[in-house]
Amino acid sequence: MSGVTLRGVRKSYGGLEVIKGVDLDIAPREFVVFVGPSGCGKSTLLRMIAGLEEISGGELQIGGTRMNEVDPSARGIAMVFQTYALYPHMTVRENMGFALRFAGLSKAEIDKQVMEAARVLELEPLLDRKPKALSGGQRQRVAIGRAIVRHPQVFLFDEPLSNLDAELRVHMRIEIARLHKKLNATIIYVTHDQVEAMTLADKIVVLRAGVVEQVGSPLTLYDDPDNLFVAGFIGSPKMNFLPAVVDAGGALRLPDHGDQILPALPASAKLSSGTQVTLGLRPEHFRPDGAAGLRLTVDLVEHLGGESFAYARHGEGGEVITVSTGDSRALESGQSFDARFDPSKALLFNAQGLRLR
Amino acid sequence: MMNQALPLIRRTLVYGALSLAAFLSVFPFLWMVIGATNLSADITKGRVMPGSALWTNIQNFAAQVDLPLVLWNSTWVAVVGTALTLLVSSMAGYAFEMFQSKFRERLFGSLLLMLSIPFAALMIPLFVMMSKAGLMNSYTAIIAPGVASIFIIFYFRQATKAFPGELRDAARIDGLKEWQIFWYIYMPVMRPTYAAATIIVFMANWNAYLWPLIVLQTNDMKTITLVVSSLASAYVPDFGVVMVGAIVATLPVVIVFFVLQRRFVEGLLGSVK
Ligand SMILES: Nc1ncnc2c1ncn2[C@@H]1O[C@H](COP(=O)(O)OP(=O)(O)OP(=O)(O)O)[C@@H](O)[C@H]1O
Ligand SMILES: [Mg+2]
Repeated sequence: MSGVTLRGVRKSYGGLEVIKGVDLDIAPREFVVFVGPSGCGKSTLLRMIAGLEEISGGELQIGGTRMNEVDPSARGIAMVFQTYALYPHMTVRENMGFALRFAGLSKAEIDKQVMEAARVLELEPLLDRKPKALSGGQRQRVAIGRAIVRHPQVFLFDEPLSNLDAELRVHMRIEIARLHKKLNATIIYVTHDQVEAMTLADKIVVLRAGVVEQVGSPLTLYDDPDNLFVAGFIGSPKMNFLPAVVDAGGALRLPDHGDQILPALPASAKLSSGTQVTLGLRPEHFRPDGAAGLRLTVDLVEHLGGESFAYARHGEGGEVITVSTGDSRALESGQSFDARFDPSKALLFNAQGLRLR
Repeated sequence: MMNQALPLIRRTLVYGALSLAAFLSVFPFLWMVIGATNLSADITKGRVMPGSALWTNIQNFAAQVDLPLVLWNSTWVAVVGTALTLLVSSMAGYAFEMFQSKFRERLFGSLLLMLSIPFAALMIPLFVMMSKAGLMNSYTAIIAPGVASIFIIFYFRQATKAFPGELRDAARIDGLKEWQIFWYIYMPVMRPTYAAATIIVFMANWNAYLWPLIVLQTNDMKTITLVVSSLASAYVPDFGVVMVGAIVATLPVVIVFFVLQRRFVEGLLGSVK
């Protein structure tokens, strides 16, 4: 299996630059997930790796070889599309064997490969059906099967599960994770879905407006984000951001919360008094035994069963703050409560949105 | 149940108008079939009842016209012309939609503008071109000017908008060249569109009259439309025979239509759903 390397990769449409110099190293057998808001360039970057979009600048290597000018079929990649893109006039068998036919394999060899992939994906009973006669999940499996038979070095997935219902999505997610183990392949996977990204990835790449904001393991991005954007993007419900001002000795004053003072954090101790910062607190950082507390009034409570979230604010016009109340279902809307949290868990960001460590 | 009179009147009017329109469009057809069973003299007198002269008319027609040759000529022109037109024009429509270029829309716009030039204005230059190229009295001369049909290019470009781009991407990754994508993916997927276009183009080619009349000079080359029209413009036309000729000329189009009818409707609704 090959790794993938991007060096200063750029893409412009006319005068508009949509990928603004991406550097990335993907190790062999790594499962890499691209996430980011809609329109940030995830699909474009993936399609450039596939060879479906020209690379305007920089270099792309797959398995150590420059691939910028190589035909998509010769890059050792296979792609699974969001709409599956199965050939509607061909049976499942023909769909899966089509690339091999054009690669010049013998009929017997094609048959063998297709049967092999069909067995792995449990598609044997469907081989002679047309795509129209398949369910969404089955089509998805055929699309994956079509990728597998080519024995690619790198699998590319562009939001492969977004057209499936919630239950099937979970099922296919697990199936893809199993497949990754079984095939030992390098996978690059684009998704909108937090859970998919967190559960599947060895490494997540967060993109914004054509720029890589941070690369790291799911838990690194979650626990130790480099900036406000990544902190806000990873995790659901979102991290809470509270404006704060540094006081003497690095103590933090919360102007929106009755000028309450929090003890100094290691990162704030170095700052001069009066500096404006942002405090980041995840909903689950609120715990009944926390050393500090915010006086909040509940707007709305969401009970998910195992866990509940209270959306609450300080006073009338305050920012909404999301608080995980764990498995306690005691809070009701309109109720005032003291949201305890552990201030040492809070993350600190400067006025430019960069993390202060 | 309050006011039944109004819908009733309206429905009567609508059905009346529709019946009249149906009658107007079906009557010539009916008259052609009835006419074929009557003698020329009866037809000119205005007889519209089935007669007993069908066999006589058929015999006369067969005596005056070398039917196998004429049908062969027409079939050749229509089938080869249709196949080439569909191939070339659908390729152009595909290319116009799939390939980005700065000049694409301007070029396409000027093509559409050319639709407004009447054939009568092109006839003489085309005639000169064909005779300079030594193509007079050949089927190439009939077929060539229509092969890049602006209307069919437009039709295919519109239909191609519904062709999923990801199919083309998938085929590229599967190792197909552009012409292979066109041949192995696009054409099969767009079959309903091709069926609809086949009917339109086949009818136009089969019924073509003016241009073949100008280009074809010898009798052994003539198509059925020319032959029937020459029967009708004889010094003393035998209208019974003309009606038989008209039926023979109409049948192939009717057959093609019925064979492709279901696909035709699908094609008008779009190939890809
Ligand atoms: N052919 C094109 N011409 C011009 N701009 C384009 C073209 N294709 C994409 N873009 C622009 O490039 C940017 C990135 O698009 P891309 O499809 O990669 O986003 P994405 O991250 O995949 O979004 P989504 O999550 O919605 O799929 C967008 O701003 C888009 O408008
Ligand atoms: Mg996308």
